[in-house]
Amino acid sequence: MAFRDVIRLITSIGRIAEPAPPRPEVMADRPPELAGTVQIRHVDAGSCNGCEIEIANAFGPVYDLERYGARLVASPRHADVVLVTGVVTHNMREPLLRTVDATPRPRLVIAMGDCARNCGVFADAYGVAGAVRDVVDVDLEIPGCPPEPDAIVRAVRSVTGR
Amino acid sequence: MTDTGVRIQLALLALAVVVALLAPVHRRALLSGLVVAGIGIAGVLTGWLALTGHAGRLTIPVALPFGPVTLSPAPLGGFFMLVIGAVGAVCAVYSVGYVHGPAASRTSWVALAVFLTAMQLVAASADVVAFLLAWELMALSSTVLVLTEHAHRATVRSATLWYAAMTQLSFFLVLLGFAVLSAEAGSTQFADLAASHVDSAASNLAFVALLLGFAAKAGIVPLHVWLPRAHPEAPSHVSALMSAAMVKLGVYGAVLVTTQLLVSASTWRSLLVLGVGTLSAVYGILQASVASDIKRLLAFSTTENIGLMFLAIGASSLLRPYGSTDVADTALVACLLLVMAHAAFKTTLFLGAGSILRATGERDLDLLGGLVSRMPVTSATFGIGALGAAALPLTAGFVAEWVLLQSLIHGGGTQNRILAITMPVAVGAVALTAGLALMTFVKAYGIAFLARPRSEGASQAQESPTSMRVGLVVAAASVLGLGLVPGLSVSVASRALGLGDAAAAGSGGIDLVGLGATLHPGPLLLLALVLVVPVVVVSVAAARRRPRRDVDLAWGSGGVRVSPRMQYTATSYAEPLSRIFDDSLRPERDVVVTHSSEARYLVERIQYRQRLSDVFESRLYLPVIGVIERVGAAAKNLQNGKINFYLAYSFVAFLVVLMVVTL
Repeated sequence: MAFRDVIRLITSIGRIAEPAPPRPEVMADRPPELAGTVQIRHVDAGSCNGCEIEIANAFGPVYDLERYGARLVASPRHADVVLVTGVVTHNMREPLLRTVDATPRPRLVIAMGDCARNCGVFADAYGVAGAVRDVVDVDLEIPGCPPEPDAIVRAVRSVTGR
Repeated sequence: MTDTGVRIQLALLALAVVVALLAPVHRRALLSGLVVAGIGIAGVLTGWLALTGHAGRLTIPVALPFGPVTLSPAPLGGFFMLVIGAVGAVCAVYSVGYVHGPAASRTSWVALAVFLTAMQLVAASADVVAFLLAWELMALSSTVLVLTEHAHRATVRSATLWYAAMTQLSFFLVLLGFAVLSAEAGSTQFADLAASHVDSAASNLAFVALLLGFAAKAGIVPLHVWLPRAHPEAPSHVSALMSAAMVKLGVYGAVLVTTQLLVSASTWRSLLVLGVGTLSAVYGILQASVASDIKRLLAFSTTENIGLMFLAIGASSLLRPYGSTDVADTALVACLLLVMAHAAFKTTLFLGAGSILRATGERDLDLLGGLVSRMPVTSATFGIGALGAAALPLTAGFVAEWVLLQSLIHGGGTQNRILAITMPVAVGAVALTAGLALMTFVKAYGIAFLARPRSEGASQAQESPTSMRVGLVVAAASVLGLGLVPGLSVSVASRALGLGDAAAAGSGGIDLVGLGATLHPGPLLLLALVLVVPVVVVSVAAARRRPRRDVDLAWGSGGVRVSPRMQYTATSYAEPLSRIFDDSLRPERDVVVTHSSEARYLVERIQYRQRLSDVFESRLYLPVIGVIERVGAAAKNLQNGKINFYLAYSFVAFLVVLMVVTL
């Protein structure tokens, strides 16, 4: 696509992000270091990828979670928040523990989706080690199967406070 | 005056022997260490007196056919007494806390005192007999010291054999050289030798023999093989004394020969000295850069520095006949500055290596790490020593290499073809050496002190006792002091060479006469501040603004937990170098891949082994040793233990003698 066409596309479409909903209340006992902006490391502990699609949407141009001070990063060394999706399978138990341990303190763990909260439809399946709270301490939960981008945005905004 | 100094040293030696033999065990280290330090301080004072023009003559009548033994330090010898005395005093203080086991025995303390005094006497000698006696005494006492831990490690014995063979070879060559020289001149006094004119054939023979003899003691390639063996196996205070003081006497000999005893305008002699110096400098640092045993690394770095000193001597004698006296003098001053700088930082580094060895029990860099928080004093002082060895500004090493480079750059020119070729090559060699030295010491410091401990010993290391820390701090302070006040060391070196105070400018700076080059500590310090202050300010401010956030676990991906084995090691750091210089280092590499039993495409484990050997050892020494062994085995047939054969031998010998006599 020629450069001029790109410019034309951008100008003709314009801004498609939805107007910001009212600011939610800040979560209880949020560490003051995380006010304003947080870096998020996402861990798929055994998800069906429904939650991943919703995360992609939340960070996409419509919901645009980055404007509230959140960013996805590639390493727990850079992160303040670990966002876990899916039930914790036996194979992902140890990597999840390591990821959380390798995140600098103070840190938050968000369990996203019903599977992460209480194993959802995968409860009692043979490959399942348990819900996220059975493996690591969870600070915030996002219900839904999968949670809507609105819910994800609301939860993350309650951490950043923006 | 100086004869009193030498007398005091000899008296202190006697006291040291008595103390070492009679003092109770729990006080022996303290008392002996103090007396040996006293010998060193007496050496410093005597050397200073000799440098400042005080004369003195101590004549010891001995029952030898050559006349009395004369000890009378000249300014040049006084300079070396000063350096050796200072190194000896620091090492003696350090050894009070360091010695344990066999190194704390009576024998070791007596040998240490004798060794230090013998080195001083070599520099104080004013005639050939005294020089050779002191030289041999130094060789023997140092052999005893290298042998200290022979009961603990089998490698000590083989190292001592190498050392003894090379040091006796050195003695033999020096003896040969002086014998030829004295026979031609008809005197054994250095003053007479310097005044006499020796004809060229004898002079050439004497020159080559003396140069080889001194080169063997100094550790010049290809006679350096004892250094990387003896230094790691000797106790560290002995390694420091040998590397920082003893090998300097080889340099002393070379300076003595080229500037006083056998001054000549012949180009090939100068080129020979320059050539072996350049070869040693480059080869030494190349081996040091790939070594992973810390003391072996330091030993090869000694070869490098001694090579630079020989390079300076060679450049000086090459330049002198072409009328560039100022530049030639500057090169000699650079040689003596290198002597001082090397003495300072190599003492620091070897004593630091001793502290590491004592605290962790490891010499292998690949098994160290994380010592900076456990041994703060050792790591700070070793770091300063490493800066000096890498010749970075504000240290003694920088001043010395700067003066050397100035003389080499101003020595070149188009008026003479030989100079126009050799000087740029020498500058290139020094530059390559300096670059590799930087890499080497980044490796030595970074791998040993930073990151996480790579072994049990390193993780339980503890800081050394007070006397060792005192020795380390004094040595490190001298590295910085000589670098911050370069004028002082230049004026001392100029006095030693009889040049007056010409090169020293006011306020502790250097002003090289005839070269138009000046070095002042002020701008250097300013430059350092400009570079350092912003870094410190920004990092402190950043640390204040955001407190450090703790991490429970180092991140090594989700699949594995981080282990100290995942870190950079000395071997991996030097891997690119050993690949680039593959042709000259010839490393043996061995890669064994074990495949999984289930599928060939899955690898179960990979084993990598690399062995670096010394090219000179495998190509030059081992064949010679093989021939000697075969000759020895053949000679065994003569000595078969049968008495009738022996009687026949003596009868034949008798007949031969009779025939020779009657002819």
